[in-house]
Amino acid sequence: MAKNDLYEYPKELREEFEATETIQFRDGSQATGADIWHYMTEVAPKKYPYAYTERKYVDGRMSRDIHLPSAIKHNYLLLTMNDRINKSRENGSPVIFVQGGQSVDPYYAAGGIALRPASVGMWARGRHEGLGLNEEVFRRHKQKEKAYHAISFEACQTAGYETIQEDGLPVDMVAPFSCLRCSDISYGVEAHRHGPNKTVKLMNVDYPLRHQADKPWAVEYFAQNIRRLTSEIGKMAGREVTDDDLSKEIKLHNEGRRLAIDTAEVWWSADLPPTNGLDRRHILQMGGMEVHGDPSASLTVLRESNAYIRERVKKGIKAEGVVDKPVRLFICGSCVRPNDFRIEEAGAIIVGHDNHWSDISTLVKEEGDPYQNLAHAILSYPYEQSIEGRAAWTIEQLRKSRADGVLFLYQWGCNTQSAIARMLCDTIKRETGISTMVIEQHEGGSEQSEQMLNRINAFVEMLG
Amino acid sequence: MSVKTLEVIRKRLNERPDELRKARAHGQKVVGWTGYNIPEEIIHALGFIPIRIAIGGDDRLVEVGGRYASSKNCVFIREIVGAFAENEDPFIQQTDVLAFDATCLQNFRAAEVIEYYFKRDVVVLGVPRNFYWEEGQEYFVNEANEFTRLLEERAGAKLDGAKLAESVALYNDIRKTLKSIYHFQAAKDNVISWEEVFDLIQAGDLLDKKEYLTLLQETLAELQELQPEPVIEADGADGRIFISGSLIPRGDRKLISIISAVGGRIVGDDLWTGILPHLDLDIKEISAAGVALGYLNRTPHAALPYLDLESDRRLKKLHELLAESKAQGVIYHTLRYCDPFTFKAKETKDILNQSDIPVLEIHTEYAGSDYEAMRTRVEAFVEMIKIKAESAAEVAA
Repeated sequence: MAKNDLYEYPKELREEFEATETIQFRDGSQATGADIWHYMTEVAPKKYPYAYTERKYVDGRMSRDIHLPSAIKHNYLLLTMNDRINKSRENGSPVIFVQGGQSVDPYYAAGGIALRPASVGMWARGRHEGLGLNEEVFRRHKQKEKAYHAISFEACQTAGYETIQEDGLPVDMVAPFSCLRCSDISYGVEAHRHGPNKTVKLMNVDYPLRHQADKPWAVEYFAQNIRRLTSEIGKMAGREVTDDDLSKEIKLHNEGRRLAIDTAEVWWSADLPPTNGLDRRHILQMGGMEVHGDPSASLTVLRESNAYIRERVKKGIKAEGVVDKPVRLFICGSCVRPNDFRIEEAGAIIVGHDNHWSDISTLVKEEGDPYQNLAHAILSYPYEQSIEGRAAWTIEQLRKSRADGVLFLYQWGCNTQSAIARMLCDTIKRETGISTMVIEQHEGGSEQSEQMLNRINAFVEMLG
Repeated sequence: MSVKTLEVIRKRLNERPDELRKARAHGQKVVGWTGYNIPEEIIHALGFIPIRIAIGGDDRLVEVGGRYASSKNCVFIREIVGAFAENEDPFIQQTDVLAFDATCLQNFRAAEVIEYYFKRDVVVLGVPRNFYWEEGQEYFVNEANEFTRLLEERAGAKLDGAKLAESVALYNDIRKTLKSIYHFQAAKDNVISWEEVFDLIQAGDLLDKKEYLTLLQETLAELQELQPEPVIEADGADGRIFISGSLIPRGDRKLISIISAVGGRIVGDDLWTGILPHLDLDIKEISAAGVALGYLNRTPHAALPYLDLESDRRLKKLHELLAESKAQGVIYHTLRYCDPFTFKAKETKDILNQSDIPVLEIHTEYAGSDYEAMRTRVEAFVEMIKIKAESAAEVAA
């Protein structure tokens, strides 16, 4: 990739950025604004040139709202994932592969690091330096192909098989919540049993179904699953996990969740969108405190972002690249999303997602048995309720975010979300009159298919 | 030589929808169930007429079902949803209550779709993924009690211990008789084919249970007379095939007919619409919990992940059945988007290959468009295992 194809942060931004908040890591270390600036302008462009692509519609292209510190800090935390996770492992923290859309309090309470598929992918990506965009995309797809070969070409979620079994990524345990939003994940965990890596521990944290939060025995069963989980991670981390450890972790994660809820409400209340859709998503996801593999770091950036968003809303500042009165889209479905740059070019903006937001916006009770409280909260995720329950919650989010339209996207091969898409959309249409569209995404190259984006653009045009 | 009772069973199956209609007119209720851990004895003991909803082979219904669920659901689930959408299946038409379990998550989703779009009364039984944990078993016992309570509400009566004991005894006799009959199909100079036994097993999904047991006992008596000492023995020219993998419900005979058409002989299966659910079901206690645990502790369905390869009872059972049937090759049948089985296809193949058992995976759906492709592959496979068996026989001689 030629140098002039790569994005460069403007030098005149340096002073302003270096004065921003220091990131506090869980192990007590820090990264100052100056450290981050140096890394993002000197180190990372050489190590990970693909991240600096100027191609607009590439999935993972960095935000260009450079006056928003989180736009740079989020990417800093992603690009340093390999170094940071390796260091944490060396210091005795086991790494656990988890599912997306689940809270991670118990993993951290037990001394582990929980990484969802995208984060595991980011860690794996960080081990391959100097790759341009096409090289990186090719590498990733070649790797995924190995999982399809070992498992099934119809698999969507492969539970990290390609990286853990085929690429030697030193994940210590694969222990996602099963049955949560995805049917592939538990089979993916099982697939590891026939891979070459015999040291990785396997566990399905079994998520019961059907009115689960209303059934005391289901809550108890899930609490027992969490106890087994913390016990296993504790053994790997060389410590005994107490109820107090979990209570403290719940309090910390509740802080992130509350901050994300507050940030969303401020964002939604604004006449003019204070950030672009990409930054909004990244910031709110920090409330789940799992995306960077370090809850403390995510929390630091989230706090700072909350202040910036409040300030922008107060001053009526609109994010760059967003039209004055954009069509407001709400996205339903797991693991996929349309390209924000393209959406904004078409005159729209994504104002919310049900994916991840379901767990981030679910607070955990802090008094009483932490295992029971956590189990009850997790089994109450709106995303995992009956269709009526999920639809009622989604409609509430649509009203809060003042959405004009709903896109339900699911990945090719996703049995679970695809089966619910029409029911959810039909209910939304019936109850609110809001237009909906269901789209299946085929995993492709670095950019989303023109066909899919054309359909979305047509939908936006219709709503506009 | 033919088994006369099989004709009677076919006739009774044709008459059954009308019979159900009359029973309902007299106040009886029909529970249609689908899943892999539904404790049918509980339904029966509560006075319901249980029938299993397991239909396949109709790609038009698959298309219809996909409009309500999605094109990414397995074809079996899509066909079931499509059948409820059209409501033309004579058995589905007679159902008052539906019972689904969550062994397979797609089955669980189908329950939601059918409940939502077709306003059917659905009772769902939760099933633990960690079924081998004590905590998982306890959860399942609670789910079974809740399942029973929901059915009791619909039956307007409590589950009676004596009636449950009668149902368990009846079902145990059915399972025992089926197992005896199954032995005959794999025998040398067999007087009943696997295909006939397969149909016979599936007839039990729909017929009255007491009558079914009588018909099975009559079938067994006939078989014992026709072949007093059946011996299961491999023959080089047999092309003995074992079918494993995704279920093959009534209406879907594509793969089975191809195997037979190219000269293969099916001698065993571990299908969940075949013999497998009738094996190793040990009910230790006459209660809802006891029956449910009997079901959960059978050879587990592939939809319930098991994380240790060495102690996997599903694979152990597969090896055991292969040895019993003296099969020479396995056709591993996977339905489009049937994750429980497709995810394990390569693993199963690798494991069986270690025991020198040839495996052919057939990945298919209910459309006829792949018929010739399947036929070519199955024909080559049957030819290959015949040559292999003949060579082995020559070497041994």
